Amino acid sequence: MADRRRINGPVGTTIPPIYDDASEKKSEVARATRSRPANVIRKMYLKTGVTPSASGSAYLEIESSGNGGSGLKLSCSVHGPRALPRSTPFSPHIILSTHVKFAPFATKQRRGYIRDPIERDLGTHLEAALRGSIIADRWPKSGVDIIISIVEGEQDRETSKAQGIEAWDTMNALSGCITVASAALADAGIDCVDTVAGGVAALVQDAGDDAAPSIVVDPIPSEHDKVLAACCIAYLPTRQEVTNLWFKGDLPASDMDVYTQLVEKGIQASKSANRVLVDCLNETVG
Amino acid sequence: MPITILPPKAFRDQPPRRNLNHDSDDVMSDATSDSEDSDSQPGGVSLDGGVTIHPRKRRSAAAASSTFTKRPKTNVTSSVPRSAIVTPGERITTDPQWMRGHGTYLSSASLGEQAITSSLAGIVTRTNKLLSVRPLRARYTPEVGDLVVGRIVEVQAKRWRVDVGSTQLAALPLSAINLPGGILRKRTETDELQIRTFFAEGDLVVAEVQQLFQDGGAVLHTRSLKYGKLRNGVFMAVSGTGGGGGVVRSRRQVWTLEAANNGGPIDVILGVNGYVWISKHVEPVVPEEAKGQTGITNLEEVVSATMYSSQNDRIEPETMREIARIRGVVTALVENGLRVDEDMVTKGYNEAVELALVSADGPEDVYLGGERGEQLAAALTAV
Amino acid sequence: MASSQHVLLSPAELAYLHASLSLTPPIRPDGRSPTQFRPLVAETGILPGTNGSARICFADGTEAIVGVKAEVERTRTRHDFPSLDLDEGAEDDDDLDDNQRDVVKGDNDWVEMTVEIPGYRDDDAGTVFLSAMLSEALLADGEFTKRLWINRRFHWKLYLDILLISPPLSYPLPLLSLTTHLALLATRLPRLKSEGDEDPLFDDDWAAAPYLYPRPTGKKGSKKAASAPTARPPVTLLVMAVGNNIIFDPSKEELAVADVALAVSVGESSSSSSTTSTSSSKPTAMDLDTEETKGHNLRLLSVRTIDPPSRLTPPGIPNASNSAYGANAGAKDTEKKKQQQEQARTAESEAVEGVWKAPRGGAKPLVMAALVQKVLEKGGVADEVLDALDGVDLN
Repeated sequence: MADRRRINGPVGTTIPPIYDDASEKKSEVARATRSRPANVIRKMYLKTGVTPSASGSAYLEIESSGNGGSGLKLSCSVHGPRALPRSTPFSPHIILSTHVKFAPFATKQRRGYIRDPIERDLGTHLEAALRGSIIADRWPKSGVDIIISIVEGEQDRETSKAQGIEAWDTMNALSGCITVASAALADAGIDCVDTVAGGVAALVQDAGDDAAPSIVVDPIPSEHDKVLAACCIAYLPTRQEVTNLWFKGDLPASDMDVYTQLVEKGIQASKSANRVLVDCLNETVG
Repeated sequence: MPITILPPKAFRDQPPRRNLNHDSDDVMSDATSDSEDSDSQPGGVSLDGGVTIHPRKRRSAAAASSTFTKRPKTNVTSSVPRSAIVTPGERITTDPQWMRGHGTYLSSASLGEQAITSSLAGIVTRTNKLLSVRPLRARYTPEVGDLVVGRIVEVQAKRWRVDVGSTQLAALPLSAINLPGGILRKRTETDELQIRTFFAEGDLVVAEVQQLFQDGGAVLHTRSLKYGKLRNGVFMAVSGTGGGGGVVRSRRQVWTLEAANNGGPIDVILGVNGYVWISKHVEPVVPEEAKGQTGITNLEEVVSATMYSSQNDRIEPETMREIARIRGVVTALVENGLRVDEDMVTKGYNEAVELALVSADGPEDVYLGGERGEQLAAALTAV
Repeated sequence: MASSQHVLLSPAELAYLHASLSLTPPIRPDGRSPTQFRPLVAETGILPGTNGSARICFADGTEAIVGVKAEVERTRTRHDFPSLDLDEGAEDDDDLDDNQRDVVKGDNDWVEMTVEIPGYRDDDAGTVFLSAMLSEALLADGEFTKRLWINRRFHWKLYLDILLISPPLSYPLPLLSLTTHLALLATRLPRLKSEGDEDPLFDDDWAAAPYLYPRPTGKKGSKKAASAPTARPPVTLLVMAVGNNIIFDPSKEELAVADVALAVSVGESSSSSSTTSTSSSKPTAMDLDTEETKGHNLRLLSVRTIDPPSRLTPPGIPNASNSAYGANAGAKDTEKKKQQQEQARTAESEAVEGVWKAPRGGAKPLVMAALVQKVLEKGGVADEVLDALDGVDLN
């Protein structure tokens, strides 16, 4: 029996209407194109110690692409190291737990309060990236929680029609998560071998049909015709080691060069992000 | 070929097995002769006695049990208990002269008669007047005096909890280990505080069951130079005492094997609980300063020096290769439902060395998985 | 199940494993060669109630079953399917409609993959990671979902249910991936009888049902696949590095001493599409193409680092700094203590032979590149795995 006391919405799901601008009906919507050089990442703002109640915290903002879209806004808080509950078995290392959550309003499609598979997947990637950087045996029998909320996901207003772009956006989100979590860990005073930062590189095909695909760092998917492959790297610059690598795409196996270049560019992007990270940490101390 | 993908085996390609009923007389005589020391019976399966049970994977076990159920029920209730497979609820005897042992229970038969009934699927064994059923497959049940290999899973204030593959975690009290420093000394508070320096979580120990709790939990001790922390080798878990395959109680659980191909001596420890340790044999090293004054107490001191070390000695690649080969032999024995004891492992090892000689890669090839394991098992059972 | 699940191994075991796996050639505990997989038993078409199914088991009893179920679903109206507003748009832009008629589109929502591992919650991070990895590889090229297109109003919704029957004795990724691969190869969808954008009507005859992945002509089955490309679902291989060695299909113990572990997904596509060759400056491109005709035309679909459990293993204590080590145990004099402390300090920075030390930091990019290269190289492991999978009888 239907609930008569309330005004109920229509049965079944509907799609929000999208209004076509009649004037632009036939012509291609003017799309933003990449204005930065291929090997330069976007400007970012990073600040530590934003949440006084947490042991460590950081906030990261990456500028938006410039045509009405939203940038990436991440806030990370670190709680710990703290004692584990009595029931947990002895651990000679610190136990790391990572939570990545999109705010319900962060993306075009509203997200629920329960973490969905993408968020859990991001959490696992983040854990792998951080686990390599912290010195876990300095803190036996303790645990640390790293909580990241993505306040605003990167989404372009104009990209509504583009399909499958969200998948590439997750990589950008992950790279931001790694950088911000690294800053927050340093802020919390947890021993790390090196500062880890995230970087993304992508193999993109630009507007022209015959244009050869090129590799760009810190890609904004909406700025390109097609993203063929992308990879997200977590890199330790002084040790020159990769703690997490996530490659996705479709590359012929005979083209190992492209893959290698992609990884190299990812490392380069990560190094750039790392400079911001180190500057930010210096600033806090100084 | 990096990968071998086999088609599934058909259900009926097992060789026809003998009907157990015809052999039951053999088994009876065998059981009587051994009834004095039934502990030495290899897990209830007697290979000499004609009953050969090879639960080759689960499928054939099912096939086997179907053979057993063909047996008419009337056989079982006869006054003499038969040493064959019984199933839960199957009446073993109503004769009041027998006593009820493990794996059985008393049920009231007609007219106030008490019948001993099986509560397990297994083999009826008798020790004098005691009837018990040994399960075909079960977790390890500790018995006093068993040599076991265990893994420390928890460190408590004055004892360790050890996984020995049993229903309960075994306990190893701090008072039941040889404290370092040689001479038997009283444990102190310092020892309690640094309990984790002796054994920590994850460490493997070889120990002996000293006493049993009512609930089946065991208390272990390592108060002997043969016992202690394990180093220089590999661990593997196979099923323990119980049915067809796995480690069986035998005369020697620990021995040193002279390996082929310059492997040197290799220690094999077959824990009664089914945990196996294969390691390089290390002679106790006598440090320079202790030389010349080697009394008995001193020797003990020297030997116990390495008791709590977690540092491996230098191990030659040849030795490692032979250790891997022995591990492969044990795996092959288990996967093909053969018992694991000193005799079988030694025979299997020699066979494996032979096999490797004729294989394409020469004696360095230690792989014994898949078909090669079956080949090995076939060679062993053919003898 | 997290890849970093707690592995309880003693430091001495870990040190031994690491030493034996670092030898050249490495000695694996079960005697396999570095590239060798565990022998497995595989069969397909075991579940008559599914559109496709497969089962793989190892000798140790680990077993996985995959069932594929397909349902017809109405394609949700989206603005990027402009052809969907049939009733209104039919007249005014006919030409556009015609153009769009042949456009076969897919949507990642059309595939739903669940992984179930006994003893683990289905929202456990590790389980989610596994299913994300498997579906990522499947959807990577964007071609797969196009196979599910029926017409502009309807599509197949494919449910892939991946079940591990026994608790995992090792990281189950390769097992699940191979089973999924076989199940998808064996998947058939009923033959479509209706035409155009009508409500779909299917042939009752199951024997006439075409395979989701059409077979090459030589084999029995599908009729429409006379000259169809021999594309096939991806496989994900687990590969790890210890020292200078690259080891495939590691067991749980081996993974516990890994320096780095990667999951590499490899697909195979028709030869024509791959000529979107990205690097124009390839002098050997021609030679490569001729070679490719006989081998598999492999494509790299995804790479993920697997957090190796080695970082969480208990470290060993060198004898020099072990207070329970015989000679030191009775030591009272402070001088000896000081000496010990110094030795302990060097022990933290330097590796002592025979003592296990959990790895810190990450892996060198070159090592990771070598791992991927080893999977993909001509006549390499991926090639041979695909060859072996070809030999499985599909019924």
